[in-house]
Amino acid sequence: MEIQNFSTDIAVIGGGGAALRAAIEAAERGQNVILVDKGRPGRSGATPCALWSVQAPFGPRGEDKRDSPEQFFEDMVRAGRFIGDQNIVEVVAFTACDRILDLERYGVKFKKHDDGRFYQTPMPGQTYPRSCFMFENGQHMSTVLAKEVSKHSNIKQFKDFFVFSLLKSQGTVVGLIGMDMITGNIAVINAKSTVLAAGGYASLWGFSDNPPSLIGDGIAMAYRVGAELVDLEFNQYYGTDVVWPPSVKGTIVIYELMIEDFINGEITDKDGNPIIEKPLPIRDDAIKTIYNVIKEGRGTEHGGVYFDTTKSPKSEEEIRDVFKMMTPKHYQFIADAAGIDAANQRLEVAPASHYQCGGVFINERGETNVKGLYACGEVAGNFQGANRLAGSALCDTQTMGARTGGCAADDAGKSDLIPIEKTVVSQQMDTLKNFMVDKKDSTRPVFIKEEILKAMDTYVAPFRDEKGLNQALSRINSLKDDLTRISLPKIKRYNMELREALETSFALDAAEATIGSCLFRTESRGHHNRTEFSETDNANWQCHTIAKQKDGKPVYSKRDVIYTHLKPDD
Amino acid sequence: MEHSTIKAKILRFDPDRDEKPYFQSYVIPVDEQITVYELLNIIHRDHDGSLAFRDFKCFKTMCTTCIVKLDGKTVRSCSTPVKPNSEIRIEPVSGGQIIRDLVVDFKNM
Repeated sequence: MEIQNFSTDIAVIGGGGAALRAAIEAAERGQNVILVDKGRPGRSGATPCALWSVQAPFGPRGEDKRDSPEQFFEDMVRAGRFIGDQNIVEVVAFTACDRILDLERYGVKFKKHDDGRFYQTPMPGQTYPRSCFMFENGQHMSTVLAKEVSKHSNIKQFKDFFVFSLLKSQGTVVGLIGMDMITGNIAVINAKSTVLAAGGYASLWGFSDNPPSLIGDGIAMAYRVGAELVDLEFNQYYGTDVVWPPSVKGTIVIYELMIEDFINGEITDKDGNPIIEKPLPIRDDAIKTIYNVIKEGRGTEHGGVYFDTTKSPKSEEEIRDVFKMMTPKHYQFIADAAGIDAANQRLEVAPASHYQCGGVFINERGETNVKGLYACGEVAGNFQGANRLAGSALCDTQTMGARTGGCAADDAGKSDLIPIEKTVVSQQMDTLKNFMVDKKDSTRPVFIKEEILKAMDTYVAPFRDEKGLNQALSRINSLKDDLTRISLPKIKRYNMELREALETSFALDAAEATIGSCLFRTESRGHHNRTEFSETDNANWQCHTIAKQKDGKPVYSKRDVIYTHLKPDD
Repeated sequence: MEHSTIKAKILRFDPDRDEKPYFQSYVIPVDEQITVYELLNIIHRDHDGSLAFRDFKCFKTMCTTCIVKLDGKTVRSCSTPVKPNSEIRIEPVSGGQIIRDLVVDFKNM
């Protein structure tokens, strides 16, 4: 296998909102950047899937003059159930408006009032309406960011590039090694700073509203080089994703659209009885309600509840207008792919894996505990705490994306490039060659991957218990054995099964650390619900969960939360 | 009970190995209509792991990753259903360089 070598100041791993924004910031500070994405930058990951809502506390420049960065800060801290690091919440709350204005400058179109103020929709958990409205949603934002990146001659982009390991030298991350899917060649990128912005891992669960690519590469590659992972047990489900038919399974149906101002229909059990009262509670409470209704046997044939627009006093036309204004593309997708008109038919929906509040442990500069390695966007953890608000994820990509890109750039500007040792590269090549060798009694990565996803769906659901989590763990361990028996087709270009094998290997580590974190935290808080420990236990658990690799296995510990402006007893 | 099927002829081409593109036939048992995207994933899992296609999914017909030519017409495979007992032809879209099978490299994307 041919190996090509590259060197640069900043390597950015990812192609979504955070990666693109970090690359732009680093380039604007005069650093050379190589951005690598396993898909196509601007058309991969979760950012293109996002909807209209990006939070920013514009106050008098927006919907409600009473809003402020301080209020945004407080809303995030409370939603996070007081386990979000406030040094980072501050960055998000106080730089959000500037980052939205950057997006506008790049070309993203936001809905405005006639007098130029930002139009902002109310979403659960916001004290004042704070969600800015992007006319063409996350795909448009991603495309605009990708275009902005391409304007910088000091950013090189490698698309269809699968990173299979970060590389270390003397305890410092000095770059990465990956496979160019287009040619099949291997490339090593030596960098002064490496920014991991590879996204979350909601598709580690079988029923998810994220693209299948988001399966744990990001946190696993960091974990393998000694990075700490944080709060992996706070797995956000979205309460109302389509569960049937299969062609549109996983399509998000915005639960918040059911509010009186919009559709004003009902979420019902299989017999049509409404199960959620208005005003709609924030997401984690709604999810619990829906989950319990299904568990009690009052769910639909396919394991969901009904998102019933027909129960609304509004006309079909008015309801269709809401869909066309707020989620026109999803509405159309469901109509085209499955022949269902959501304006006059009820949809079968259920909680699906949606977002990860936790991830790689970072500080307010996006630094991980491993020198040379930074992280931002959904792959990073710390500030969301136990639950996040709608519109905070996109906000995170721009605020912490820019902040981390900037810090990585500043640090690179003051350092020398540490070279990569040849032995480190040959070790990686040996691991890769091992995957490619034919095995006796062989299996295929797709079957192992399926089993991981099934185990996560079954045992790491909105509600978890010790017995189930232990069953999940033993399943993962037996699948690790299966991984040693995979055989792959001998294809150089775009070898999907080789990529799948490498992803599955990462997924096993991500699953193990997530399940272990769920076992470790013996309380319920936000998106982590233990049936045997149904109360929130502030005396013992108002803290982070840390997972770190030691002798090949994850070990778990507690760490204090960083409080700045708002202590829990305030 | 006889299953309905979808018969799909898919254009294969590996520039490293093949002199020229050729059609490969697949017969997929189905009970209900499925989208072309679902069809490709079923082939990957149950019939032929070597078939190359981009499997990114945006759930809203915007990313254009899934575009293919279905019976000569460019469609988004994610939102294009195929009925049982159909016979279809799937080819890569034009306008880019064929990497392998249905995976196309658009220089500007």
